[in-house]
Amino acid sequence: MPTEIYMMKLGMTMTEGTVAEWHIPDGGEVKLGEDLYRLETEKVEMEVEAEAAGIVRHLVPAETTVDPGDVVGWIYAANEEIPDVLPGAPAGGASAAPAEAEPAAAAAEAAAAPARAEGERVPASPAARRLAKELGVDLATVTATGPRGRVTEDDVRSAHEAAAAAPAAAPAAAPGTPAPASPLARKRAEALGVDLSTVAGTGPGGRITKEDVEAAAGGGAPAAAPAAAAAAPAVAREDEVMAVRGMRKVIAERMYASLQETAQLTMDMDVAMDDCVKLRGQLIEEWSDDGVRPSYTDIVMKAAAKALRDHPRMNAQFLGTEMNLRGEVHVGMAVALDEGLVVPVVRNVDQIDLKAIAQESSRLAGLAREGKLGLDDMAGGTFTVSTLGMFGVDSFTPILNPPEVGILGVNRLRDDVRWEGERPVRQKAMTLSLTWDHRALDGAPAAQFLASVRDYLEAPFRLLV
Amino acid sequence: MAEKTFDVVVVGGGPGGYVAAIRAAQLGLEAAVVEREHLGGICLNWGCIPTKTLLHTADLYREMQDAERYGLTAEASFDIEKVVSRSRSVARQLNSGVKFLMRKNKIEVFDGSARLTGGGGLVVEKDGETVADLGADNIIIATGARPRSLPGLEPDGELVWTYKEAMVPTTMPSSLLVIGSGAIGVEFASFYRSLGAEVKVVEVLPRILPVEDEEISAFAREEFEKQGITIHTNATVESLEKGDDSVTATIATEEGTVEATFDRAILAVGVTGNVEGLGLEATAATVDRGAIVVNEWLETGEPGLYAIGDVSGPPLLAHKAMHEGVICVERIAGEPSARPMERRRIPGCTYCHPQVASVGLTEAAAQEAGFNVRVGRFPLVGNGKAIAVGDTGGMVKTVFDADTDELLGAHMVGPDVTEMIQGFVVAMGLETTEAELMETVFPHPTISEAMHESVLDAYDRVLHV
Repeated sequence: MPTEIYMMKLGMTMTEGTVAEWHIPDGGEVKLGEDLYRLETEKVEMEVEAEAAGIVRHLVPAETTVDPGDVVGWIYAANEEIPDVLPGAPAGGASAAPAEAEPAAAAAEAAAAPARAEGERVPASPAARRLAKELGVDLATVTATGPRGRVTEDDVRSAHEAAAAAPAAAPAAAPGTPAPASPLARKRAEALGVDLSTVAGTGPGGRITKEDVEAAAGGGAPAAAPAAAAAAPAVAREDEVMAVRGMRKVIAERMYASLQETAQLTMDMDVAMDDCVKLRGQLIEEWSDDGVRPSYTDIVMKAAAKALRDHPRMNAQFLGTEMNLRGEVHVGMAVALDEGLVVPVVRNVDQIDLKAIAQESSRLAGLAREGKLGLDDMAGGTFTVSTLGMFGVDSFTPILNPPEVGILGVNRLRDDVRWEGERPVRQKAMTLSLTWDHRALDGAPAAQFLASVRDYLEAPFRLLV
Repeated sequence: MAEKTFDVVVVGGGPGGYVAAIRAAQLGLEAAVVEREHLGGICLNWGCIPTKTLLHTADLYREMQDAERYGLTAEASFDIEKVVSRSRSVARQLNSGVKFLMRKNKIEVFDGSARLTGGGGLVVEKDGETVADLGADNIIIATGARPRSLPGLEPDGELVWTYKEAMVPTTMPSSLLVIGSGAIGVEFASFYRSLGAEVKVVEVLPRILPVEDEEISAFAREEFEKQGITIHTNATVESLEKGDDSVTATIATEEGTVEATFDRAILAVGVTGNVEGLGLEATAATVDRGAIVVNEWLETGEPGLYAIGDVSGPPLLAHKAMHEGVICVERIAGEPSARPMERRRIPGCTYCHPQVASVGLTEAAAQEAGFNVRVGRFPLVGNGKAIAVGDTGGMVKTVFDADTDELLGAHMVGPDVTEMIQGFVVAMGLETTEAELMETVFPHPTISEAMHESVLDAYDRVLHV
């Protein structure tokens, strides 16, 4: 069996890679560990080494872009016969032109991604194993980038972070997961009655040391009953030090990265909501037997989905050198939990009716609160809606969830005044706060999208047809 | 006006300095080193490395003399010139290795002495001439230390040596007085005794190797005396009278004053920091007892001025200097992972015969610090491998905190212990307790099993006694 040459997957976010250059010509001989091809993605370039020795056959020519995991060539050992038509090659020979490479790669895909047998030991570095254990990452689910398919520490971290893009699924956030701590720290924590999950680690990699535990035991008890503290205001209060880890850490990194790496800005627009309020009341009554209660967020999601269809540039991924206008409309909805924020995704919002949206969003919110969201529940969003209206917020600047290019903030439903001629009329109104990535589209089209959302909401019958 | 500016200029190219420069280069900082003599410093040219070469030669020679025990026949003799010449060529090889590392990391090396001119400026002078005018945001002083001398006992390089002359003898002295029984004194005593010289060691403190655990000191003393080294503790050399080719010492011992004549004397009573001529007066840095005062981040009182290694005080160890260099530079670069050194976990090694190695607190120091101490011991006479190689003169002692079961210190004397102490250093760094150490599988047959047994002994579970 010849050895496959894969398009290596360098991280969870890598969606495609290019064989920029073959270092070994088609039919040439390669030694184990010798540089085989230069891999380029929009983010990095690296040399891929041969994982076997033998004769190299190219399945795709240089400068071909394929999906990660696709087979791009084969290495035939000295005793192996090289067939005329390579496995995975389109009929007509091995020298597929770049344009033809895609079907070839696609055909290869099925054969090229051998599922790991259940219980098979995943090659991984000790550090990767340790981290995986700490973070609760299943090594079998991690994409390996190390030599010979070995899972590295970075791979585990990427997998963890990717999982935490949907933070509820991040196992580190699960209560009861042991914090990384030295054996001595554990022993001391037990002796001193310190809950390790409340201790900030100062050791290498945030590991909790003996000193941390003793400081936590000796220093102001962070878990002191708030009532007691309030009753004794004369007592000096100690600062509470909280470790930034788990979901908090992921959110911190992602939010910061979002602001660092995009050109985002926010605009507000008011919407007259009288008709929406009326419609919602009717729908609640209509669906009362089924117990379905559409929220304003559900209605805004539907309006946004329809507007996204009209303005595909807002339903896109900005990937630096190119933009991916997404074919489907999957809307993420931010759900606040005590530990942080999760963003489950309602699928095909443009195609399903309002009732289905209401049912799905309520199901996802329920799962989120129970901490039972699966990875699939959080993957694949093309746009996000975030609601702070229930807290009385009238306007805010939502932060983008890259590579998405838009996020819509839903604010409080408030009493407002509309002028009918010289006569002031009371009406319900709501402000929508749209953050968008100026790299992907400019202010005018963004405003047009937002106006389109407004128009749907002001004539909500259009949401039902 | 500085003609050349850098992010970091390191003054002194010893192990602390050149490692600091490499780390700086790794972190993308422009780094330079000013060295007045040899890259690699004392360690590599006149310290650690060449003495280890000599001591290895001494070990081989001793074993050759002992050949009959093993059923071998060997005629043992040596040529001191060749012994020294090998030691020098090893030093040269490593010196050029450091030069290569500087080139590889694109670190500019200035030949000369540096003098601070204030405000991040420094001039490099060679033979009284200014050869370079440098500016740097960060200056690291890593000028090391030199032998301390005592009034009346000043070394002259002919009859009264420092380590430097002791390392390159042109003739083999038949008798030698070693003043001071720290690592340097004991190593030279061991070397010259192994080559046949009559050696007397004079120590002002009550025991030799005063920084080591008392039991280890006593054990080592007994071994040295078996080899024929005479040792006076609680004794001082009151005067040295130089003859044509000999020195006569007046030694005040507990039993009274004795006078004895030796071919040569070695002054090994400690070192003092090279703090002079650096222009420190022009800065806010302070000097205390021959060492530049620094905080845990190696910062002096002057912003942007740092000191690492011997010049910043004890312990005077190359590995301490290297580690400080790394910490200091990571601090400069703002690396979030930078952490101050855990000073209690710096190991120390002495390469006399038998070797001595230790880390952490001695039993006495642990008691003094208020720990409820639990001690384990294991003699090498109970170790199969030690018996097999015919070298059972040694023991392993472990010191635990009986309340927390933390490993507080480990002390070893015997063959190869300098290579094994790292096991305990890692264990302490990871804050292991006795449980992990007892669960660890030590390979059989090795001398390292004695480490395991010592831990077992501390918990009354020793197997082979």
